[in-house]
Formats: sequence, C-alpha cells, structure tokens
Amino acid sequence: MSDSPTQGSAQPEHDHEHHHNHEGPGYATPQAAIEEGGREKLAYVMSLYVGTDVDAPDFVAVVDLDPESDTYCEIVDRIEMPNRGDELHHFGWNACSSSCHMEGLERQHLIVPGQRSSRLHVIDAADRRNPELVEVIEPEEVFEYDLSAPHTVHCVPDGQILISMLGDADLPGGFLELNEDFEIEGRWEPPGEIEMNYDYWYQPRQNVMVSTEWAAPKTYYPAFDLEDVEEGKYGQKIHFWDWEDGTVEQTIDLGEEGQIPLEVRFLHTPESTHGFVGTALSSNMFHFWRDEEAGEYRAEKAIDFEAREHPDWDMPVPGLTTDILISLDDRYLFGSNWLHGEVWMYDISDPSNPRRADSLSVGGTFGDVREVQGREIVAGPQMLQLSLDGERLYWTTSLFSSWDDQFYPEEAERGSVMLKADVDPRTGTLELDEDFLVDWGECPAGPARAHEIRWPDGDCTSDVWQ
Amino acid sequence: MDRHEIRLEWPTGRTRTLAVREDETVLEAAGRDGIGLPYGCRTGACGTCAGRLLEATGHESDDRTLDVDDAFAYRRCQRALKDRHRADGYVLLCVAEPRADCRLAVGPSVHTELVENPWK
Repeated sequence: MSDSPTQGSAQPEHDHEHHHNHEGPGYATPQAAIEEGGREKLAYVMSLYVGTDVDAPDFVAVVDLDPESDTYCEIVDRIEMPNRGDELHHFGWNACSSSCHMEGLERQHLIVPGQRSSRLHVIDAADRRNPELVEVIEPEEVFEYDLSAPHTVHCVPDGQILISMLGDADLPGGFLELNEDFEIEGRWEPPGEIEMNYDYWYQPRQNVMVSTEWAAPKTYYPAFDLEDVEEGKYGQKIHFWDWEDGTVEQTIDLGEEGQIPLEVRFLHTPESTHGFVGTALSSNMFHFWRDEEAGEYRAEKAIDFEAREHPDWDMPVPGLTTDILISLDDRYLFGSNWLHGEVWMYDISDPSNPRRADSLSVGGTFGDVREVQGREIVAGPQMLQLSLDGERLYWTTSLFSSWDDQFYPEEAERGSVMLKADVDPRTGTLELDEDFLVDWGECPAGPARAHEIRWPDGDCTSDVWQ
Repeated sequence: MDRHEIRLEWPTGRTRTLAVREDETVLEAAGRDGIGLPYGCRTGACGTCAGRLLEATGHESDDRTLDVDDAFAYRRCQRALKDRHRADGYVLLCVAEPRADCRLAVGPSVHTELVENPWK
C-alpha cells in the first residue's frame, strides 16, 4: 500500500488554495475533481450476510485498489455492524463538493443505512484505511417519524444529511433529515407529497431535486412478483421538487415503458437541467430536461434495451437496468443490465440523442465472460462506480438479497465479485481487466454479497456541485 | 405464562427445540438461546425470517392438528406474506407468538421458496 496522503487523512490530495472561495470538502468543480482527485486507491463497499446461512452482521469492506500494493484486490479491513439483519445497501458522505465553501466541514463520516432494519450507522473514516463505527441510530427512533427503509444518502450543502425513505412498511415514503451531529432533525418534506420513493438527486443552482419510485417495502422486500406489477404496486413516475421548499412541483408518469424507475442522475455541471433515469423493469433509459419555454420538465425515452429470448426460459428476459452513472465530464452515461449480464456506455455529449459507444458482456444470464481468473461469475453486473478521470469502471454483482436469491441463487453460496473494465474515453471503448478480481466468496465468516461502491474522496454518484 | 415446544428443523437435518412463551416471538426465543435464525426488518414486512409450519398440535386434551393461524398469534400484520403463502403454512417468525407446540422448517431456504423467477 502506498503512503498517499489520502490514506491517512480526511482531506483530499488537492490544494484548496488554488481555487477561489474553496475552503471546505471536495472539489471546486467537476473538472477540478478530474484533474486533482488522483487515482482511486481504496474503495468502500457495502457487504452483506442478511438472509444467508452465515450467522454474522453485514459489514463495510475496505478494498485495496492500488496496483502498486501487496494487497491489491484484497479486502484489507471490514467494519462490522453491531447487529445482524441490516441489509446494508446504499450509503453516503456527511459532506461532499456541494459544501466546498463550508470551512471546517470535512468529508469524514459515512452514513450507512440498513435497508431492511431501518437502522442508521455513522462511520468515521478520517483514517481512510481503518474507519470505525462511531454512532448508531436505532430503528425505533426512525419509526417515530413514520418512515422506514432508508435508501439514498446525500449531504445537503450546509452540513445536513438527507435520506430517502421508502416506507412506512405501507405507502408512502418520504425523506428523513439528520443534522450535522447525526441527530434526526425530522421529516424533510410535508407528508403526502409522494406515494413511492427510491433514489434522488438535486441540482441546487437550479433549485430542483428529482426523485424516483421503487415500491413499498412490503412489496419489494420479499422478492419480485409479476403479480405486484400487474396490480400497480411498482412505481413508474418521477417527481421534480422545489429544493428549497421541499414540495413537489411536477410529476411525470413515464408509463409502461418507464416501469420501476430506479437510479436517477443529473449531469454534474451545476448549470445543467438535463439528467437520466434508468427504468429497471422496462429496461429503458429516459432523458429529462427542463423546457424553459414551457417552464416545466420533460422526459423522453432515449435508450431502449430489448428483452431477449432465452432457450430455457418461458418469456423474453428484460435486461433489468439496475444502475447508471454519468462520468464527471458529463460525456458518458454508463449502466448495467443485471439480468442480461452487460455493462454499457453511451456518449451523451448531446443528451437528447445518446449514441451507443460500447458494451461488455460478462456474467449474468446471457453474458459471454463467465470466469475471471478461474472464478465463475454467477450473477450480472450491478452497482457501478467510475474513477474520477473516467478511465476505470468497477462493478459488483449483488442487487438485493431476496432478488439475488430469486434470479442468481448461487450467489448466496459463492458470494459476489467486484470486476473492472478499462475505459478509453477518447475512443469510447470498454475492455474487461481480467487481472482484476475482488472475491467476496473468500470472506472469513463465509461468502458475502457486495453492493454499492464509494471512493474515499468523492465519486461520480455522490458528489453534487453548487 | 404458557410455553410451547417449538422444534426448529433445518434442511441439513439439524434440529433444535425451544420452549417459547406466549408473549415472545419465535425469533426472540431463538435469540435468547443463541440460535441464529435469519431476520431483517423485525416488523413483518420483509419476509427474511420466514418459516414453514410442518406440524402443530394442541394440548394433550386437544390432540388435533392445527393450521398455521391457530398455531400462532401475530404481534403485527404479516405484510410480507401473500394469502397464498399463509395458506401454504408460511409464517414470519419475527412477529409470530406460539399458541401450540409446533415443528417448523427454518433457515434462509424457506424464504427463497416464496417467490420464483417469473421468467424461468
């Protein structure tokens, strides 16, 4: 392991004095992150045992990504949660580039929710290689606000933390706000604004937030059932909010081609009103943007992934587009089709007309590459993370424990893997790095699943700019 | 407080028998005895803790086979189970308090029986 300053300090490597009024965490602009961020040397990865035979709590894995290190591709630390059964899923920082003007604030604490337990954990990552759990908010405290099932964590520019909540166990979901001391402030929005919730992203310069819809926890927790789709229990709408007021300004129903809108991203440049949302079940990509003349947002299907026939399956199989991200230069949109076993990249230089650049078929139900270094890949590409310079794309293979068991039951016995592709942004190509493999099948307590990935000093799916 | 004998049976053939009070759930009693059963939300919403009733019997004076809703009282609604699951004897052990002696299939494979891959 190299002795890069990023390993032992909560301060990123770049020099704040190079930028006007830049005293806080993160980078002054997306371009500054690309130029000053340096190569990722560690990753934090959600790792879980919930619902398996392994009688152990979920953990946050610290993965060594430094090719010069003796422990490259190894899990070098594990921060265990105090309870079993959490289903660690998505997580986020207490501060990001949206607070880069806030002197004294640091990107130091990870907020790590349990999707099933509704428990919120706070991890102090000042020591990047050896983070430690410092606080736990128990589910009962969360339930007091008639909210449960925490999902997306974003920091708010002044130090607060906002978490999308997918229930009470019945509809509707909402948003929980924590203050900078990690105490529950309360509910962010007036109850009743939305019926379902999932992911969100905000663009403070445009005073807008966009949120998506999965379903109520009682619907998606147990597993996926087509009967629930037929009964309208899954979402197909996106909501545009007044970011200051916390109220919904506009809702767009994406229709049948927009079933189960999950990950949503605005372009990184803070002036932009363009973004993309991936619809998992319909396996389409919608482009949205603000029509300034009409004074409202529009959404249009921009990419369509066709279902594929499988000789041994009864019906055409959707790609199940479960994760997307946008490179920091806003040039490429990447995504994963979990059931087809494909990662893909589209050129979105013109966001209204995405152009397919490349794709990589690996694992999953149809993927060509099923073994890396002799390790069989028993599930499809799922959660993605891209290097700040846009040249290395990483992914893990677990979606959600009960859905994994349904579509890739072997993953419970074999564990997840983390894989990597080298990206050439100039030519728009992807190439699988067959020397790279992190194997959660070899964890000491038994095979574990691996889900969302974060870099210690900001990444393409958590940083927002003002 | 009445207690009931709950025999837990794993697919591997392993078994354990618990004495469970009527005011505690099977999951709570298992935890008290240091037995690791799968669980998640602990509110009956997620289904991770699903077990399946194999057999339930009343007291000696009432030695008849009972169905799952006679064998358990539920602390909260079993929201993760559909009617077809309840009819098939599935029970969420995080909210189920016993009212009879039972044999239960347990372990994570019980939950995976609940919903199949719809495309396969």
